[in-house]
Amino acid sequence: MSKDMTIHLKYWKQAGPDVPGHFEEYTLDTVNEHMSFLEMLDVLNEELQLQGKEPVEFDYDCREGICGSCNLVINGQAHGPKAEVACCQLHMRNYKDGDKITIEPPRAAAFPIIKDLVVDRSAFDRIIEVGGYVSVKTGSAQEANALPVEKEKSDEAFEYAACIGCGACVAACPNASASLFTGAKLAHLNKFPQGEVERSNRAVAMVDQMKEEGFGDCSNFAECEAVCPKGISISAIAEMRRDYMKALVS
Amino acid sequence: MPSFIKAINSQVGRKIMTGITGIGLMLFLIGHIVGNLTIFGAPEAFNIYTKTLEDLGPLLYVIEAGLAFFFLYHTILGVSIWWNRRKARPEGYKKYQTKGGPSHQSLASKSMVYTGIIILVFLVIHIWTFKFGDTEMVKLASGEMARDLRALVIEKFTDPLYAFGYTFVLSLLILHLSHGFWSAFTSLSMKSKEASKKVQMGAYGFAIVIMLMFIFIPLYIYFTGGEGSLISY
Amino acid sequence: MKLDSKAPEGPLEEKWRKHKKEMKLVAPNNKRKYEVIVVGTGLAGGAAAASMAELGYNVKSFCIQDSARRAHSIAAQGGINAAKNYPNDGDSIWRLFYDTIKGGDYRSRESNVYRLAEVANEIIDQAVAQGVPFAREYGGLLANRSFGGAQVSRTFYARGQTGQQLLLGAYQAMMRQVNEGGIEYHPRHEMLDVVIIDGQARGIITRDLVSGELKRWEADAVVLATGGYGNVFYLSTNAKNSNVTAAWRAHKKGALFANPCYVQVHPTCIPVSGDYQSKLTLMSESLRNDGRVWVPRKKGDDRHPNDIPDEERFYYLEEKYPSFGNLVPRDVASRNAKIVCDEGLGVGPTGLSVYLDFRDVIKRDGKETVAAKYGNLFDMYENIAGENPYEQPMRIYPAVHYTMGGLWVDYNLMTNIPGLFATGEANFSDHGANRLGASALMQGLSDGYFVLPATIGNYLADVKPGTRYGTDHNAFIEAEKGAQDQIDKLLNVNGKRTIVDFHRTLGKIVWDNIGIARNKEDLEKAIKEIQELREEFWTNVYVPGEKNNYNKYLEFAGRVADFFELAELMARDALEREESCGCHLREEYQSEEGEAIRNDEDFSYVAAWEFKGVNGQLQEELHKENLEFEFVELKQRSYK
Ligand SMILES: Cc1cc2nc3c(=O)[nH]c(=O)nc-3n(C[C@H](O)[C@H](O)[C@H](O)COP(=O)(O)OP(=O)(O)OC[C@H]3O[C@@H](n4cnc5c(N)ncnc54)[C@H](O)[C@@H]3O)c2cc1C
Ligand code: HEM
Ligand code: FES
Repeated sequence: MSKDMTIHLKYWKQAGPDVPGHFEEYTLDTVNEHMSFLEMLDVLNEELQLQGKEPVEFDYDCREGICGSCNLVINGQAHGPKAEVACCQLHMRNYKDGDKITIEPPRAAAFPIIKDLVVDRSAFDRIIEVGGYVSVKTGSAQEANALPVEKEKSDEAFEYAACIGCGACVAACPNASASLFTGAKLAHLNKFPQGEVERSNRAVAMVDQMKEEGFGDCSNFAECEAVCPKGISISAIAEMRRDYMKALVS
Repeated sequence: MPSFIKAINSQVGRKIMTGITGIGLMLFLIGHIVGNLTIFGAPEAFNIYTKTLEDLGPLLYVIEAGLAFFFLYHTILGVSIWWNRRKARPEGYKKYQTKGGPSHQSLASKSMVYTGIIILVFLVIHIWTFKFGDTEMVKLASGEMARDLRALVIEKFTDPLYAFGYTFVLSLLILHLSHGFWSAFTSLSMKSKEASKKVQMGAYGFAIVIMLMFIFIPLYIYFTGGEGSLISY
Repeated sequence: MKLDSKAPEGPLEEKWRKHKKEMKLVAPNNKRKYEVIVVGTGLAGGAAAASMAELGYNVKSFCIQDSARRAHSIAAQGGINAAKNYPNDGDSIWRLFYDTIKGGDYRSRESNVYRLAEVANEIIDQAVAQGVPFAREYGGLLANRSFGGAQVSRTFYARGQTGQQLLLGAYQAMMRQVNEGGIEYHPRHEMLDVVIIDGQARGIITRDLVSGELKRWEADAVVLATGGYGNVFYLSTNAKNSNVTAAWRAHKKGALFANPCYVQVHPTCIPVSGDYQSKLTLMSESLRNDGRVWVPRKKGDDRHPNDIPDEERFYYLEEKYPSFGNLVPRDVASRNAKIVCDEGLGVGPTGLSVYLDFRDVIKRDGKETVAAKYGNLFDMYENIAGENPYEQPMRIYPAVHYTMGGLWVDYNLMTNIPGLFATGEANFSDHGANRLGASALMQGLSDGYFVLPATIGNYLADVKPGTRYGTDHNAFIEAEKGAQDQIDKLLNVNGKRTIVDFHRTLGKIVWDNIGIARNKEDLEKAIKEIQELREEFWTNVYVPGEKNNYNKYLEFAGRVADFFELAELMARDALEREESCGCHLREEYQSEEGEAIRNDEDFSYVAAWEFKGVNGQLQEELHKENLEFEFVELKQRSYK
C-alpha cells in the first residue's frame, strides 16, 4: 500500500512567554501518507519520549477541524498549504518523501506563547465578551417562529458564524490584525433581526477591544481569507466597517 | 455613539481615512495629469493652465493646504499602520509565505509604504523644481504676463537625470495604485466578491493608464530633445 | 443505600410543572451570596453557567480547553430534536418522549425523559433569540429534517454544524456574564477532585494547566458538566481532551456511577488506517439513505471493489433485514459490520471496514444530484481517506461515539452527594441503553438552560447563605494533597512505555471485549487484562516534563489512570447485566437470528455503582434503582 516517507522537521521550542525560543530539528522516517499532520507530530513526540527527550507541545482537541484549537503555522502558512483545511485535517499525502517542514506558533503580541507551539488566545474571548452576543436572558425568548428571517440572510449569517476562532487570520496577517475574527462575529449577529437592537454598540465595543488587545490594523491584504479553515470572506470586514460607520451616525 | 475623534482613531476609522485620503489623492492625480497634458495642446495652453491656477490666489492656498493635508494624513496613517506591525508582532516568522488564492498579498501591496515614501520624497523635489523654480516671464496672447513653466518643463526633461528620475518614480505609481485603488474601495466597505474582482481589474487599468500618462511627458520630451511634433510652438 | 429518584408523583404531563411550583426559591438579594461552580463549558455546562449567572448567582466556570467555545459539543453535526411540530406531521411532546424511551430500550426514567421532551421546545426559542443560524425555509421559518429512530421530522439543524452553532450561543451568553461579573471564568483549568465537607459538595481542586499550580475553590454547589468517557476506547469520535476524570474522581469521593457499560457505537465512521491513528471521524448517518453497505462474499477477495460483480457482493443488511435494509438503527448496523469483519470478510488494508457504495444511486440520480446532497461529506471523506467516493465505494467502520452511562443523578440532576450535580453526557439520566440521534444536544441544553437553574435554587434554598468553611479547611488540604500525590507518583514512575502506548493498549482491550458485542468469557478476560495492564501502568509508564509547567502528557497520564479504573467497572457492569438491551449486546442473550433479548423481569433497573477502593482490583458495590413504567408499555424492538 503506502510506504513510509522521510520528513525533516524543524519546530519551535520555547519554554515560556518571556524566554527566547529556538528551533529544534528532527527527522522522522516512518511518516505514512494517511497520517494527519497532528498524528505525525504525535509520532514525533512518541519517538522523542522514548529517547528521553522533551516532546513538543501543540494545541488540539477535536481533530475534526471544528473546535479551533489547532493553529500551527506550517512552512510559513497558517494551517499549512491546503485551502479551507485546519491543520488537524491536513494529511501527510500532501507532502512527499524528503520534504522539509518548518513549524512555528502563530506569532502575535496579542497571542503570547505559553509553551512551544501553544499560545494564549484569550484575547478572542475578550473581544466576544464586550459585545459578541445577543443580550437575551434564558427564558425570555419569544416563540422561535414568531420572527421570520429571510433564508438568504440566515444562510449568509451562517457563513460568518462558521468561524472556529482558531486565530489563523491573525497568524497569517502581515499586521497581526484580528479584523476577520471580529468582523465575522459582527456580520453573523447583525444579519439577524434579533441582533439588530445592539448592532451599533456591539460594533463599536468589539472594534475598540481589538485595538485594546494589541492586534494590528487591517491593510486589506486578505491573507486571512486565504488561510481561514472555513473560508470566511473578507466581506465580513466590510460588514464590520459599515456597522461601525452606521454607529457614528445613529 | 463614539466621538468623531475616537472613531477616526479606531482601527476601522483609520482604514476608512486611508481610503478616503487615497481616493482624494487619486482624484488629484487625475486632475494633475489632465492639466499636464495641456503641454501637448495649443502653444500657450500649458502656461495659461498654470497661470489660471496661480491666479486663483487665496483659493489656491486653500486647495494646496487641503492637498498637503491629504498627503500628510495619508502618509501618517500609512506609516503608522506599517509601523504598528512591529508592535503587533514583535517576533516575526522565520519562514513566511502567502497561501495565495483570495489573498491580495503581492509585490504591490507589500511595498505600499516604500512606494509611498519614495513618492513623498519625489514630491518635495518636484515642488521645489517647479513651484519654486526660476522661470522667465512670457507675454501671453492676451497680453498678460505669465511664468514660462512650459519652458522650464522642457528644459528639465531634456536633462537625463530628471527625465529618467521622474520616469522611475512615476513608474512606481503602478505599484501603489494597482493595490491602492482596490484597497481604497475595500476600506470603504466594498462587499461583494464580483464588485471586488471588477474593482481589482479597474485598479490595474487605472494604474497603467495613469502611470503611462505621467511617464509619457518626461520620456517624450527627452527623446525628442524637446522638439517633438506633439509639442507645438 | 436506597436510591430515591425524587421523581414527582402525578400524571406524566404534570410532573415538571408541579415540581416547579413546589420547589423552593432563593430571594434575589440572597442569590449573590451563593457561589456555584460549574465544571465544563459544553452545551450543558455553558448553558447552566450563563443561566445561573443571569439569575444572580456567583458562578465560577472551568474548562480544559483554552476557551469555553472549544468544548467537545462543538463537534456535534446532525441536529437537535424538539417537538415543535412545525411540519404538522403529527409530532407531540408525548411522541418525542415515547421515541426517546423506546430508543433507549426502556432503560431510562419516564419522568426525566418526559421533562426533556417538554422543555426541548424552549431550547429552540432560546437558541433562535441568541442568533443561532438554524436552517430555514424560503418563507423565513425554521426548517426540520428527519433523523434516525423517529417517523416525524423534528430535527433542527444548522448545516452539519449544529453543535457548533448551539455551543457558540451558550458560549456567547457566558461571555456576556463574564463581562458583567456574574461568571468568573477559568479556562485551561482541569478539575482533579471534589471537596466534600459534612457530606456536602463544597468545592473543587483544579490544576492550572499553564502554570501547573493546584488551586482550591470553595462554593455552595458544584455542577459537573464534563462530558462523556468514550475515550476510554482510545479511538473514538470524541475530542482528544474528553475524559472521565472529573466524574471518576467524584465517584471515588462517593458519587454513584450508573450504567457504565452503556456505550453507543456509531456505524458510519472513517476506518482506522494505522497504528498512529489518534481519533476517528464520524460520517453523517444520512449517507445510509442512499449508500448500500456490502462486503465481498469471498474471504480475502482483494479485487478492486468496482471489479467485484453484484452476485459476489454480500449486501448483508439488505439480506438480513429486508424491511429496514441499510436503514436499521445504529446498534444493529454496527453490530453487523463487526460480525462480517470478524468472519474475515472485511475490506481495506486492515480488514476492518466495509463498503458503503454509492454506485447505484449515482447511476440512478446522476452525479450532480448526489453531489448536491452529500458533496461536503464526500469531500471530507476524500480529504481524510484519500479515495474518491464518486468513483469507488467509501470504506466505513463503527466507532465509539457516545456514552449513555455516567454519574447517577435524581430528578433534580443531583448525585447522591448533596450539592454535587451532574449534567449533560456526564450523567446517566435520559438515554437509557441507547441514545437517539439529535437528543444529546437537546439534553445538555434543557438541563443547562432550564432544569438546573431551578433545581439548584431549590437545593441552595436550604443552604445558609454565606456559609464558608474556608479553603484552609482540612477537606481542601487533603483533596489537594491527594491530587498532588497522584501527579508526583505519575512523574516518578519513570518507566519505559509511553502514556499513548498504554492508552492504546487499554483501548484495544476495551474495544475488543466491551465494545459492540460482549460475552461472559471475554468480559472476565478483559477484567484480568485491564488489571494487569493497570499494574504495569503504575510501574512502567513514562511521563515526560515537569509538573509546574504546561504539560499535556501529564494531563493525559492522569486521565488514562482514571480510564484504567473505569474500564474495569464497565466490564463488571456489562458482566452483571445478563441481558441484551440497546447498545449492550450480550451474545448469550440473543435470538437465533441475532436479535437482542431484553430481560425486563430481572434487569429493568439502573445499575449504580459505589466505589469502595482499588487494590489490584476495583472494589465496587452495586445499587439498583428500579425502573417503573407507568405510562408506556414495554415492547421488544424488531427491525426485520
Ligand atoms: C462527532 C460527534 C457528533 C455528534 N453529533 C450529535 C448530534 O448531531 N446531535 C446530538 O444531539 N448529539 C450529538 N453528539 C453528542 C453530543 O455532542 C455530546 O453528547 C454533547 O455535546 C455533550 O455535551 P456536554 O456539555 O455534556 O459535554 P462536552 O461538550 O463534552 O463538554 C465537556 C466540558 O467539560 C470540560 N471538562 C471535562 N473534564 C474536565 C475536568 N476534569 N476539569 C475541567 N473541565 C473539564 C471540558 O473542557 C468541556 O468544557 C455528537 C458527538 C460527537 C462526538
Ligand atoms: C499620489 C499620491 C498617492 C496616492 C494616489 C495614494 C493612493 C493610495 C491609495 C488609494 C491607497 C489605498 C488606501 C486604502 O487601503 O484604504 C493607499 C494606501 C497606502 N498609501 Fe498611498 N497614495 C499616495 C501617496 C502616498 C504617500 C506619500 C505615502 C507615504 C508613505 C503613501 C503610503 C501608503 C501606504 C503605506 C498605504 C497602505 C495603507 C495600509 O497598509 O493600510 N501613499 N495609497
Ligand atoms: S483540533 Fe479542533 S480544529 Fe483542529
